[in-house]
Amino acid sequence: MADDVQAPDEPATHLRHLAGDDVGIVRPRDFTHLGTFAFKSGQSIEGFTLRYETYGQLNATRDNAILICHALSGDHHCAGWHSASDAKPGWWNNLIGPGKAVDTRRFFVVCANVLGGCQGSTGPSSINPATGAPYGTRFPFVTIRDMVVAQKLLLDHLGVAELHAAIGGSMGGMTAMLFAIEFPVFTKRQIILASTANESAQAIAFNEVGRQAIMQDPAWNNGDYPREGGPRVGLAIARMMAHITYLSDAGMDRKFGRKKRESAGGESYTFDAQFEVESYLRHQGQSFINRFDANSYLYITRAIDQFDPARAHGSLERAFAPVQAESLVVGFTSDWLFPPEQNRAIALALLRSRKRASYAELDTDLGHDSFLLESAELYALLKGFLERSEAYVFDFAI
Amino acid sequence: MDKLVEKRTVDMEVIGEWVEPHSTVLDLGCGRGELMAYLVQAKKIYATGVDLDFARISACVGRGLSAYQGDMTAFMRAFPDRHFDRIICSRTVHELDDPAEVILEALRVGITVTVGFVNHGFWKNRLDVLLRGRKVRNAVYTTSWHESRPANPLTIADFEDFCREKSIRIARRAHLLGDWRTPCPAAPNLLAGYALYDLARA
Repeated sequence: MADDVQAPDEPATHLRHLAGDDVGIVRPRDFTHLGTFAFKSGQSIEGFTLRYETYGQLNATRDNAILICHALSGDHHCAGWHSASDAKPGWWNNLIGPGKAVDTRRFFVVCANVLGGCQGSTGPSSINPATGAPYGTRFPFVTIRDMVVAQKLLLDHLGVAELHAAIGGSMGGMTAMLFAIEFPVFTKRQIILASTANESAQAIAFNEVGRQAIMQDPAWNNGDYPREGGPRVGLAIARMMAHITYLSDAGMDRKFGRKKRESAGGESYTFDAQFEVESYLRHQGQSFINRFDANSYLYITRAIDQFDPARAHGSLERAFAPVQAESLVVGFTSDWLFPPEQNRAIALALLRSRKRASYAELDTDLGHDSFLLESAELYALLKGFLERSEAYVFDFAI
Repeated sequence: MDKLVEKRTVDMEVIGEWVEPHSTVLDLGCGRGELMAYLVQAKKIYATGVDLDFARISACVGRGLSAYQGDMTAFMRAFPDRHFDRIICSRTVHELDDPAEVILEALRVGITVTVGFVNHGFWKNRLDVLLRGRKVRNAVYTTSWHESRPANPLTIADFEDFCREKSIRIARRAHLLGDWRTPCPAAPNLLAGYALYDLARA
């Protein structure tokens, strides 16, 4: 997901965080699980921490929780502001807040950084208590299922009796999907946006190039690098390339076209960034290396590549057999990373398994990142799905 | 418009009588889900709708209905034989590019296929063409030729010919007079304003 395409356009003012439909100033918390945690790979660690945020209040029946599941490079900070001086709010602030599509007056919203991540949750950059040094590649291989099981422990800790909904885009959609499969009674609804039930060869290929960029950087050093060092060149290149896959040809053309940087002047015969798209990507790469750990990038892209419930259960229909959740799948026309066809496949398999599932498709030119779109249509769709009354009373006055 | 709204609900009531309780129903061209919502309430069916338009799908979702945005033939191709107890194609058939393909595919994935359509052979339409010499315009056909969507108006006779040709068994039929309420006693192709059929494979 992009770092700054969602940055609000309004002029910076120190009062933005006080907007009436914003959750305002929020603070992350840490949940620490003390027992042994066994990964799907068979490896285990002694306890883990998940960094998370919550907005709104858990109700008396403890059934109004909505889990927000982040994408590859996302984190737990999906709404509100950490301080009045923040440059931008949480990554899904346009969707979550009082009166918004995910209404925090009504729902208790939880979002956690995934296991294997690097934004405060336990991952390869965490200190291995056995050695006193970062785990690096000694960290157990992480699967989407491991992330889901860890987040379920957090939800249990928070006292959540059932999930009103699990919502996620891209990898977050995979997470939501596995919640519905692994915890079918617990998960009442799932919303999957711009996701897939198994990546195409093309998507795996892009992830592999990203991993190679990191691992071929000498500073990667087989995963052993100091906290402030590491394969910064490789990680930046991985991010630049991945970022292209989050956009679309038409979207990039609209945003950048062949526009040149003001400072590029008339001199064309250099390799400095001349086109705006070049400096944009360089900026994306540079800002990413300051907030993301290269090993986490390897682990999480690997988890995404390996996600394949159809293979795990024999078929997607069989994988969905236990699902009790009502499902909403949303595809975006310009998403060529997880294209509409792959989102349709999820909805169709759910319907073949005789589950209640809907599929809607939005016409956008923002590519894979479209799921973060500021769109009244998308908000109305999600809000309608989350808030509709259970019993629809037929009204003849149509 | 009141007259049309009333007619629409009559259509629903007839289909409602034919739908078995708790059955699995697919509504082709489900619109904003009015028919599905009615059948879910009246017959406790498990309903899924298909439509091309995002706003209509969104309206269905807001009503708690399952709806799929996409092409109806492509949708049906994704399902095994006899997956649905009933497939409803109500007031949609005349707007399809390839009605035969849709109806035949529906007969594969559905046990029963309900088709409802406005009878273009209704005497008032014939008279309209005869006397005015122009494209039919009335409460049902509201638009002039240049503002109409591509459409395939059909008559009851056309439809029965089609069923015979394709060896489709007509399990049940309902012909209603111009008020879309009173059963038509005779000469339906001339006297009926609306027709409903339950089809099955021969």
